[in-house]
Amino acid sequence: MNQTALAARMHDQRPVLISLAAVVGALVIGLVLVAAIGVSIPDAVAGFAEGAWGSPYALAASINRSLVFALVGLGFVLADRANLTNVGGEGQIAVGAIAATAVCLHGGVAGLPAGMSFVLPMLAACVVGGIWGGIVGVLKVKVGTNEVISSLMLSFIGVWLLYGSVQSEALLRQPMTSSSTLPESLEIPDPTKLPLLTGDAGMPLHIGLPIALVLAVLVAVVLHRTVFGLRLRAVGLNALAARKAGIAIAPSVIGVFFAAGALGGLAGSMMLQGEQYSLKAGFSSGYGFDGLVVGLLARGSVVGVLAGAVLFGFIRSGGINMEMVANVPSCLVLVIQGIIIVALAGSARWMTRKAGAR
Amino acid sequence: MTAVPLLELRGVGKRFGSLQVLDDVSLTLQAGEVHCLLGENGAGKSTLCNLVFGVHAPDAGDMLLSGQAYRPGRPADALAQGIAMVHQHFSLVPDVSVVDNLLLGQSRGLLRRSECAARMRELSERYGMPLEPYALIKDLSVGERQRVEIVKCLMREPRLLVLDEPTAVLLPEEIQALMEVCEKVAAQGCGVVLVTHKLAEIRRVARRATVLRGGRIAARSDAPAQEMDALVRAMIQRDLADPSETVPAGPARVAPAIGQEVPAPALMVDGLTVRDAQGTTRLDNFTVLLAPGEIVGIAGVEGNGQVELAGVLSGLMPSTQGRFFVSGVELTGERPKAITAAGAGIVPEDRHASGCVTAMSVAENILINRLGDYRRWGLLDRAALRRDAQDLMHKYDVRAAGPDVAFGGLSGGNQQKAVLARELTTPGLRFLLAAQPTRGLDVGAVEAVYGHIVGACQNGVGVLLISSELDELLKVANRIVVLYRGRIMGQCEASPSQRERIGAWMAGHTE
Repeated sequence: MNQTALAARMHDQRPVLISLAAVVGALVIGLVLVAAIGVSIPDAVAGFAEGAWGSPYALAASINRSLVFALVGLGFVLADRANLTNVGGEGQIAVGAIAATAVCLHGGVAGLPAGMSFVLPMLAACVVGGIWGGIVGVLKVKVGTNEVISSLMLSFIGVWLLYGSVQSEALLRQPMTSSSTLPESLEIPDPTKLPLLTGDAGMPLHIGLPIALVLAVLVAVVLHRTVFGLRLRAVGLNALAARKAGIAIAPSVIGVFFAAGALGGLAGSMMLQGEQYSLKAGFSSGYGFDGLVVGLLARGSVVGVLAGAVLFGFIRSGGINMEMVANVPSCLVLVIQGIIIVALAGSARWMTRKAGAR
Repeated sequence: MTAVPLLELRGVGKRFGSLQVLDDVSLTLQAGEVHCLLGENGAGKSTLCNLVFGVHAPDAGDMLLSGQAYRPGRPADALAQGIAMVHQHFSLVPDVSVVDNLLLGQSRGLLRRSECAARMRELSERYGMPLEPYALIKDLSVGERQRVEIVKCLMREPRLLVLDEPTAVLLPEEIQALMEVCEKVAAQGCGVVLVTHKLAEIRRVARRATVLRGGRIAARSDAPAQEMDALVRAMIQRDLADPSETVPAGPARVAPAIGQEVPAPALMVDGLTVRDAQGTTRLDNFTVLLAPGEIVGIAGVEGNGQVELAGVLSGLMPSTQGRFFVSGVELTGERPKAITAAGAGIVPEDRHASGCVTAMSVAENILINRLGDYRRWGLLDRAALRRDAQDLMHKYDVRAAGPDVAFGGLSGGNQQKAVLARELTTPGLRFLLAAQPTRGLDVGAVEAVYGHIVGACQNGVGVLLISSELDELLKVANRIVVLYRGRIMGQCEASPSQRERIGAWMAGHTE
């Protein structure tokens, strides 16, 4: 009954307004906290705005962050449709980035024409990320391992693989010329970097933006407009009935985890090829987990993922600058982010209960 | 004697939306008596019980318990006042043991399992309701689960016990035992409200009876055993016809003459055996041959192998031994998809478990087997899906606001008609398995379901009808096979004259 009532409210405008109110409320609480630690509110807001959208560079950096959150969030929503929880974004980013780095540096793609130089590393990241995600699906189907546990554990493995891969020259570490050579990879060749949309390094908005938007539309279409999406929904809502109706459960589960992993892997390659240009320890500081939160808060809506990704991307960028300019501790940004999550989740719960009470 | 009544209702009314479910209902119940509440489906019996048990609050009237005003706000209040209730739908946690279910909500601090188990054994022995304390609920049959519910109530030593249609799932013998339980409980000074629409059961135990019809009191009796006919008339507003005359003209009985070429049987089951994870044999060497156009009824008390039989035939459960064929195609161990493709329609017993996805739309549910046919340029052709579903809904009289409403919002009868619509339109349908297809449906929906099943059989479909309602089988089936502890106890023509034989087989007696 609950789900039915919720489904009926999917097209209702009120959830959007309530979510918005939750975000605004959390930001207000954040400002109160800022004032409480003795920082002037105008200074903090100015620092935040400058970091988030104050310059073309800041704007582009915020959007590039948002892309990563969006891709991981899309992967979460895709799996969530089949009632599966993918918390493996961090590991999928890591293995995707490893694959992209390896192809960029050692794949001999730098000389390839027609954009192949940067597309092939991205595809490699998708495949490897997909396999990383697919492992979770296979474990779920064959052994019955809970996907939350296995995807989380694979995240840690992925992150440590990344760490390990830049420790040895035999792997991806740059040649050691002195004892102070950092454990990171060489910078990837220019042709493998993602082309900038503006052609201006002052606004490093790269080709990942249109790619992510196309993928968002694709995910929305798959979920809402294809037979596969409908079957996935049946699997998620009632696996036994879906099986009885002749829907093959195992391929659906593995397939959807492959797709989610591929999106995570792609996010990793975009971080490498569009932003950082070399692989190093701490390559992704929790982007996979933030992306998971974005997906969680979106509650199955692709538009919600995009909105959440933009929100988180800008908060992250603004927060970093707020720390540097206005001396607001970065942990406070995390606190505000946490309040937003609690407020959004709480308002969702509240709406569910109201729907259920009717 | 004018003792203060244990429970008294004065002019109680209850309305749900625009539906007046109860209207000006008054009744009294003395301690130590069994009060029967009679009425057809939808007469308001369950609602009345729910008022007494605090699930709902009455809109009008008063309730008094031992002369004191009684206004339970929730079931916990009723329990605290010594009122226990066995609901029509059980409230047991399937994944834990019987004892743990009994301990839920009634112990503090540490769980005293062995003490509780001992208590349970004592109670179940005293009242003749065998139960294994450490069995998991999910492994029990519906009948066994009900015993757990009853024992759960008795452990509270209630002063008022409300039983909402407790007999629907029990064997004649078990009904007898339950009546003894009622008598014993009443003899200890407890009041018992027994809700039923089966008349024979009350003859023995009912001290008084109240008949509800359309939410109003239609009749009362202080001597129900003597006034049975009047009560029946009050209940249904007409006299019950002689059962032997109500047997409808049966469907075309196909009996190929010897020597004539025999068409492939709709279903052939050869020595099917199912053993569960514990190694207990649940279905034992089951063999049946179902001709096209024939309806074979599987009779038996629930939990005697019916679930396993249906599970194997629908491809959701593995069999240990034996084989089965639909229209000559072997399907042993095949997936549901292959079974559907061979022309088998499956109407599952538990609609919500495997028959539908309640949060999806009616259209999606009706055509879920055939979503692949609605692909256009890779996308789902929702317009066509909606149109075809609308046609089927019209043809099978599925009443809903439209094909896009959530399946879960439909009434049970309409849900079942929708499931039938889907299964009966399975391409190349040769065989239909219908497990408890009329459970929980009102009279009109039951007739519609029968009509569709008989209609399919007239089109040459063989039907295996699993039902715990013997009357239903006698009415619809050509032949009846009786299951007892997973074995075939006997089989015979579906004729009312065989009723007693069948009843004996159901109870495990051979002649």
